[in-house]
Amino acid sequence: MSPAPLTVEQAEAMSQRHIKKHHVAIMLLHWFNASVWLFELATGAALIASPYFRVMPYWYIDMMESLFGSRANMLQFHIAVGITWVIVFLVYGIFGFRTYLAKQIFEKEIALDRDDVNWLIIRALRILKKSDEPLPPQDSYNAGQKLFALLVYAMIPIIMITGLIMAFHLVSTAVVGWAVVLHFAAVGLVVSGLIIHVYMGAVFPEEKAAFFSMLTGMVSELYAYRHHFKWWKEVKMQEEAWIHQLQGGSGSTGVAPPISGPGPVAPPAVPEKTEEKHGSPGTFKRIFRAPEYWPPYVAGAGLGLTLLATFVLMGQGLGASGGFTRYLVAVIAWVAPNYAAHSAYWSNYVQPGQSPLIAFLVFELIGVVIGGFVSGWLAGRIRLAVDKGPRISRRTRYALALGGGIVTGYGARLARGCTSGLALSGGAVLSVGAWIFMLSVFAAAFGGAWFMRRYWL
Amino acid sequence: MNAPFFPTFSLTTYLAVAVLLGFFFGFFLERAGFSSAHKLVAEFYFKDFAVLKVMFSAIVVAMLGIAYFSLVGWLDMSQVFVPPTYVWPQLVGGLLLGAGFIVGGY
Repeated sequence: MSPAPLTVEQAEAMSQRHIKKHHVAIMLLHWFNASVWLFELATGAALIASPYFRVMPYWYIDMMESLFGSRANMLQFHIAVGITWVIVFLVYGIFGFRTYLAKQIFEKEIALDRDDVNWLIIRALRILKKSDEPLPPQDSYNAGQKLFALLVYAMIPIIMITGLIMAFHLVSTAVVGWAVVLHFAAVGLVVSGLIIHVYMGAVFPEEKAAFFSMLTGMVSELYAYRHHFKWWKEVKMQEEAWIHQLQGGSGSTGVAPPISGPGPVAPPAVPEKTEEKHGSPGTFKRIFRAPEYWPPYVAGAGLGLTLLATFVLMGQGLGASGGFTRYLVAVIAWVAPNYAAHSAYWSNYVQPGQSPLIAFLVFELIGVVIGGFVSGWLAGRIRLAVDKGPRISRRTRYALALGGGIVTGYGARLARGCTSGLALSGGAVLSVGAWIFMLSVFAAAFGGAWFMRRYWL
Repeated sequence: MNAPFFPTFSLTTYLAVAVLLGFFFGFFLERAGFSSAHKLVAEFYFKDFAVLKVMFSAIVVAMLGIAYFSLVGWLDMSQVFVPPTYVWPQLVGGLLLGAGFIVGGY
């Protein structure tokens, strides 16, 4: 069944209603993936530089090398980002196996059906101006997107495995040699598709809505109706079934033509997918997927063991503010290298030939983001929200967060550490200064609580 | 065993271990509810003592482990970084951080 033509009023009404297309987890993965590709392509293109073969002009290679201090640093960066990428994908693949890998990828993203094949043929003919047949209806991803996804999912394992072989010189020299070629070829194939993908998303006017849906998660119903009719139908059916259930039997059925004007009940965008879980709730589910927080002493023991492991492995504790400082130093050293090298404070972090980003805390913070995300995701706590007291506006909360953040940041650097780096880690190794710091933090916070009660309670 | 192990790590291993440790750090912080400013701040209105409980149980667990490992000679404390003490900066810094905490929520 193809979409019926719409009247102007119907189209207007539909463009006002929005339906949810992407889950937050998918959007985050998309933009994480995009930034990894940006970094890896930028450094990778400069890393391919032999007398026989290179892809970029020498000025670009020189620029990238001086940006990182040396070629070796650039390679380390390329490897570190690549490994983070592999880890994040493994986490998504393992923890989200059923919802993400099975449902999202195999069912929605790459399964081509007859309509898809016809869509590709007609699309090609239309571009060549040999046909004006209407395009067959499409699911939540169109056939072009599915082809690109197929290519990407076929190439990603090759890129990851060859990358790891090169990074750790696995197996033998000959295998590493072939890994180089395969790595480059696989990336080349993805890039050829990526050019179209980026063009479609960022430039092509008809697909503007697809681009914004990757930021907000929503598309207008009109866009869904016109470009992804099969998916629109599915969403509508769910909605109808849901309304039907709510009203206990009455209510309209059928999908097309679309309801114009306000429906019998204003339904929320899409009924939340209540996924049927199979079998009785297992131990894993009880422990990791329950929506409640863990008992404080359990979480505290886990945190303590992590801290202990950090001391045993790294000879230092966990931290936060020091890592953020290094990110800032990297920006300062990049924008104003002379100032950074001579400033009494920043120069502590700047060593010639070494990036301030090659440090424990910098990479630990990447892990913190991933770990916190996985924990929240498993428990179903991920959402966009402004965490504020009931009596204040969002703007007040933003202003307080900014002001409080500035004071907190200044205090942390003055004391040479924050609640993680100094109070927690220093406290565990009985640093006197750490305990002084901890007590003053609690004193000031308990003291200030009275003055701030209007804003929190 | 002769911990700490970091001097034997290659740079890549070092950074990979950093990400892994950070993963567990972030995981347990989120499990404890520390991703919510509301929950953190509730501490200071005597409504929810999770911050105190989590922080001190973590410190005690790590402290006992470190003490044990160094007593039996597995952990070389001379190679472990102990934050140096600067009384006034740390006192004032702590007060500022505490004040910023109750205003900003983190």
